Amino acid sequence: MSKREQARIEAAFARGDVGVDGGATEEKQDEAEVEKGKAREALLRGRAYLGREFLTWMLWRSESGDALVEYEKSGVNVLFMGRVTLRGVAGDVTEMNAKGTLAPYSTQVKHALDRGLLVAQARVRFTHAEKEYEATLDSEFLDVRAAKLPALMSEEEDDQLTERLFLTEQLSAMVDALVRDFLTIRASKTWSKQVVPAMKEWMRGDEQGADALSKAARARGREARAARN
Amino acid sequence: MPVLRGAVTFSRFRVEPTKEAPSDIKRWLQRGLKAHAFEPIDRKSEDDRAAGFVELENADAVDFAVSRLFYGEYALFSFRIDTLKVPAPAMKQELAKWTTQFEAENDRPPSRGEKTQAKGQIKQMLRNRATPRTSVLDVSWNQTTQQLQIWAASRKVVEEIVIALENALGLKLVGLTPAAIAQLSGIDEGALGPTAELIGMDLPATGEVAHVEA
Repeated sequence: MSKREQARIEAAFARGDVGVDGGATEEKQDEAEVEKGKAREALLRGRAYLGREFLTWMLWRSESGDALVEYEKSGVNVLFMGRVTLRGVAGDVTEMNAKGTLAPYSTQVKHALDRGLLVAQARVRFTHAEKEYEATLDSEFLDVRAAKLPALMSEEEDDQLTERLFLTEQLSAMVDALVRDFLTIRASKTWSKQVVPAMKEWMRGDEQGADALSKAARARGREARAARN
Repeated sequence: MPVLRGAVTFSRFRVEPTKEAPSDIKRWLQRGLKAHAFEPIDRKSEDDRAAGFVELENADAVDFAVSRLFYGEYALFSFRIDTLKVPAPAMKQELAKWTTQFEAENDRPPSRGEKTQAKGQIKQMLRNRATPRTSVLDVSWNQTTQQLQIWAASRKVVEEIVIALENALGLKLVGLTPAAIAQLSGIDEGALGPTAELIGMDLPATGEVAHVEA
């Protein structure tokens, strides 16, 4: 053994990289495990799973085409469109992107959701009264990206600025209203007893289950509206 | 200026009331922003980055006059970030030119010390010539609803602006994430653990990693 080789081995031992037998002291972590660990951390960081569950719940609820929540005396309809990003921790796939106008409601996406992936980012259209908004929502921070606002009605520059800000706040408030509605259901017993099983049935393509729950959701909405009035 | 026109991309926050609410909000905001106003990069220094608050409609103005800061119920201003970068290829080219000239004049290659000294001078010369890259990110703050929006796409930049705002104005900004909305709505955290059936595995709610404190 050359002097240089001997010195290299001694230095590795001094650093604690190898033991007396010359073997590595720490096993190199499996790449897939490292990736899963990162995905798991991203899911738990700041309860990010809540945002993913919210978008997944919204996707499920939106398929019926009914208004999901009432905001300023008008229903808010939601439609997922175009690209949707799914992320998960359970299987071998930690991220999946689906493109296509109807991709969010496709069998492939539902199948992926059934396998433990959740919606992490999506392009969503919100219809409120006669106004239409479009935005890409990110599940972790609920940041609004590349939003399209309804056409401005004002002509004066100052008024246009105020109107633009008003519309962005309306969009933001609709997102908040949807999140609050989700959280109310999420924290109730209905979530695990009715909603999650119905979502799973929908993911597996059992339309009957989805219809039954959709009817139940509509009935609950009617009851809530009646109680408010 | 995305607030005025262009892409609508923003992060959403709620401004938490401070313990000692200022009596004159307009003056307090002006003073806070002025104290952390943007100052251009000093080319003689080693700094290659400068950041601070500027007026919304003029990224060179830092007066924050009430008429240019308040628009109805909104306070609107911007955060400017300048970066000065000496391009590596230009540095390499200038150094090669200098080396050739040195060898022609002295009949020998430059020593390591001479080369280091020349590098410093070339870097300074290129710094003086370089144009800083400027990005201006808007902040809109509704004084009535206490909703604050940072009009930036990069999360790193958003976090930098949050820290700058908290330092300048002594505010507490809460990102409107589902977890924060749950807390604001008084929903019991215990009922909000991960849903194993949807995630595909059991994850302990206690394993939560908090967001990095902004």
